[in-house]
Amino acid sequence: MTIDVSPVDSPTQSPARPPLGTTPMVSVNRTAERGVPQTKVVIKDLRFYYKNFEALKGINVELYDRRVTAFIGPSGCGKSTLLRILNRIYDLYPGQRATGQVLVDGKDILDPRQDLNLLRARIGMVFQKPTPFPMSIYDNIAFGIRLYESLSAQELDDRVEQALRRAALWDEVKDKLKQSGLSLSGGQQQRLCIARAVAVKPEILLLDEPCSALDPLSTQRVEELIAELKSDYTIAIVTHNMQQAARSSDYTAFMYLGQLVEFDETEAIFTHPKERQTEDYITGRFG
Amino acid sequence: MVAEHIIKSYDQELQRLDNSIAEMGGMAETQLQAAIEAVSKRDGDLASSVIEADAKVDELEHEVEAQVVRLLALRQPLARDLRQIVAALKTSTDLERICDYAANVAKRSLVLNQTAPVKPVYALPRMGAVCLAMIKDMLDAYVERDADKAYAVWLRDEELDEMYTSLFRELLTYMIEDARNITACTHLLFMAKNLERIGDHTTNIAETLYFLVHGTPLAQIRPKRDRTVEASPPDDNGDQEDVA
Repeated sequence: MTIDVSPVDSPTQSPARPPLGTTPMVSVNRTAERGVPQTKVVIKDLRFYYKNFEALKGINVELYDRRVTAFIGPSGCGKSTLLRILNRIYDLYPGQRATGQVLVDGKDILDPRQDLNLLRARIGMVFQKPTPFPMSIYDNIAFGIRLYESLSAQELDDRVEQALRRAALWDEVKDKLKQSGLSLSGGQQQRLCIARAVAVKPEILLLDEPCSALDPLSTQRVEELIAELKSDYTIAIVTHNMQQAARSSDYTAFMYLGQLVEFDETEAIFTHPKERQTEDYITGRFG
Repeated sequence: MVAEHIIKSYDQELQRLDNSIAEMGGMAETQLQAAIEAVSKRDGDLASSVIEADAKVDELEHEVEAQVVRLLALRQPLARDLRQIVAALKTSTDLERICDYAANVAKRSLVLNQTAPVKPVYALPRMGAVCLAMIKDMLDAYVERDADKAYAVWLRDEELDEMYTSLFRELLTYMIEDARNITACTHLLFMAKNLERIGDHTTNIAETLYFLVHGTPLAQIRPKRDRTVEASPPDDNGDQEDVA
């Protein structure tokens, strides 16, 4: 651009601008728009051992109700371990134990008296690889519901439809509900697993790298689904995909070597993290 | 010192972006210095060379834009990298404007050479020297990622604004004294305004750099000493427009 010599004031002079510091920063804080979040899960000094190996070294973090919290960090940092503790999947394996507290609505789920079946109905989990049961699409969903509730055939049909709609899968499978769940594509299978988790009406949804085996379009469908599901659930997602964490979560926790390095609103983590380790990790400088 | 990326070519691309900004900054310094010299020495050839060289600056700005778009698309930068890339884009725009103003000073100097010299012409190089020092310090701060140095430059704009206000009054006085001075003084007034704007763009860069380094905006009210909207000729009483 060039300026002509003309007897008018400089055309580029910006109109009277408010002085610096008086303009409020435009807030794109997605969290603030929906009021103060309620705490759903409080994790206190959580330690976890695989036999003698200490995989988690005293984690303190909170998960908020109807918010998505992403856990990021290099492989082996303990993020999947943390998720596995939340519904006590680790109980299935000998030699694994957790100490500390995991309070869900104020009640410690690490308590040995905790009914694990009830716990897993309240806290659903979806894994990295789609894990549909080797049964029909319909039964994949109905199986869990039948375990906890006795419904009439019509009610059951409704619940199955509801869950499949919730997982944005209904239109794709409504004409083939009797077909095997394994006949679906990878992306559809993963959404079937999410539908299965949602069908038993959990309060918390744990997603352990739910999109790492999916193509970009299926990934976006799952992310859209997460955005919709968070109006009803507390969601925790483990992901290696930084952009996915940035796109789909409200809060982000960065973990490294069994410790929680930084926890903040997602926007803060990805634009100006406080910790050097976080910055190095998300910008690809980790040695 | 910031650690290197695992992907080496990413570091190289970011370095290249920084180099382009440094090159633009160097151009801004050279152009402004030459433009001021063209005014004080009434050197038409030098003025013409400044006007000609402006195209090169525009070219550099486009190059920075292309680099930024490429980095955003291919690297999905985050945190400090993202801030560096956004800062480069904003800074290149400011530097391009600074060069435009320098070229404009050069253009007006050609017209000024057609008129008899007026005394305030000597105040202009003084303003220019402050501008140059600000730009130089700003570029050093940019290379060193020194937010404190950038903040010092930011504060220094006050001095420039004061010089502009006093030159404005001086020029008004000359024009009132002798109507034959009006042509030269009007051009000098625009030149002084250009220098004042260069100072503003330099403070923009300071704010950008502060954000690059700290990740938060420089949230302070800069003292504004450009009082020309309040100034009026000595014999014109009470008819002041409240524009600000």
